[in-house]
Amino acid sequence: MSELLDELNGRIAALQSELDTVRRRDAEYRAHMVHEFLDRGERNTYLHTLREQLAALVKREQEASADLEELTRKLEAEGVVAAALAAELQRIKGSLAWKLSAPLRAVDRALASPKRGASRPAEGDPVAAEVFTYYLHTSPFRIYREQSFTLRGWAWPRDGRAVTAVRVNLSGRVFGGKTGLEEPEVIARYGPQPANPRPGFEVTFETPPGRQSLSLEAQLGGTDWRWIMQTSIWCEPARP
Amino acid sequence: MSLENAHARWRESAANLGDRSEYKSVWDRQAQDADVAWLAVAGHTDEATLDLTARGTIDILRATVGLDPSDVILEIGCGIGRVGKPLSRECLHWFGADISGAMLGHAAARLKDRPNTTLVELATVGLQEFPRDSFDLVYCTTVFMHLFEWDRYRYVQEALRVLRPGGRCYFDNYPLDSELGWGIFTESANYPLDRRPAHMSMTSTREELRTYLAKAGFSGVTVHDLPNGMIAATGRKPETGAS
Repeated sequence: MSELLDELNGRIAALQSELDTVRRRDAEYRAHMVHEFLDRGERNTYLHTLREQLAALVKREQEASADLEELTRKLEAEGVVAAALAAELQRIKGSLAWKLSAPLRAVDRALASPKRGASRPAEGDPVAAEVFTYYLHTSPFRIYREQSFTLRGWAWPRDGRAVTAVRVNLSGRVFGGKTGLEEPEVIARYGPQPANPRPGFEVTFETPPGRQSLSLEAQLGGTDWRWIMQTSIWCEPARP
Repeated sequence: MSLENAHARWRESAANLGDRSEYKSVWDRQAQDADVAWLAVAGHTDEATLDLTARGTIDILRATVGLDPSDVILEIGCGIGRVGKPLSRECLHWFGADISGAMLGHAAARLKDRPNTTLVELATVGLQEFPRDSFDLVYCTTVFMHLFEWDRYRYVQEALRVLRPGGRCYFDNYPLDSELGWGIFTESANYPLDRRPAHMSMTSTREELRTYLAKAGFSGVTVHDLPNGMIAATGRKPETGAS
């Protein structure tokens, strides 16, 4: 009798132990499942963020296409004006008055002395070109409808000098910017830039209505200013 | 930081009652530095007292809903991980959820040597970050007094969803019908209308807690009088049935 009881107790203990093991495995599985669920939640959140970014990019692409069409129309209109002015110039150069005044223009050219000892350039004066490796995160090729715009990007001159300052010259008005911003992905792609380890920059400038000339310029080695890129821009009030 | 200074900072960090529903910002503000966070969630700033009160809470959990080494546990509103740190030694895995990411930052520092713990920041009121039928025990301690009633019930509903069939729940608060609860009630009533802080404690009644658990679908609902003067409602998720 007692042997039977012992055997039964032994079996109960074994079953209890097995049950505990199963319970523990079940609990481990559930804890694992919660972690999987949390990971999936994070992935879904990331996916949602990516979708939002995609939607913003699609919207920006549509706006850019509209700007491109408008800029093309402006270019066509400017082309018509340029053709009319060229025809007018041709007409003037073919006129009798132009031919009669030719000796006077020759005398004027002869008397004109070459400029010597150029004066120190003013801040808004045009600067010379330099070859840069650069990229603009915020494209300047657009219709400007806000009161101001921030140009962000990165740049370094191919001659290896350090960019010590940046600015935008907008039709003679100068707007200073920030340099030395981190661009780790750029450095990873192009390799170390000893003189420009942080090649990022940003410049905020006002955008008064009308056609403006935009010159993005960099100071090299703390002395010379050189332009990175130049273009004409059109600033217009925001669409209603 | 001195205790007096911490108290002053805590008072400064308080938002208005009108912002009470903005739980994330209210509690993130109170968690800007460790001492203020500890004061906000526990009423003191030293680790020894924190550990002592946590052990008191664990004893209460053991006495009311039971604890098992194979339990997968979720704490709603874990704050700085006051209870989670010692409790993680007594369960398989402890998950701490809080709506304040800043509070969880302090919790992460306290729990860095506890591999069987996981902290989760809740996006809003509810437990949508967690799957159904997952936990053996869901508990929520010294949190309900900071929530509006609708949000208390929301967490009770969500606890039912994330508990495995047969899983246990625990929710506590100060009871209105006790000396302690009535003291809190009258103290709150004395605040000038325009200076009631968002985190101000609001009591519960036994019937309120019992109703939440019963309406949510818990079985075996019991309201316990706790040695610390609080009340706790406990229940089980039915083995079969909707969640």
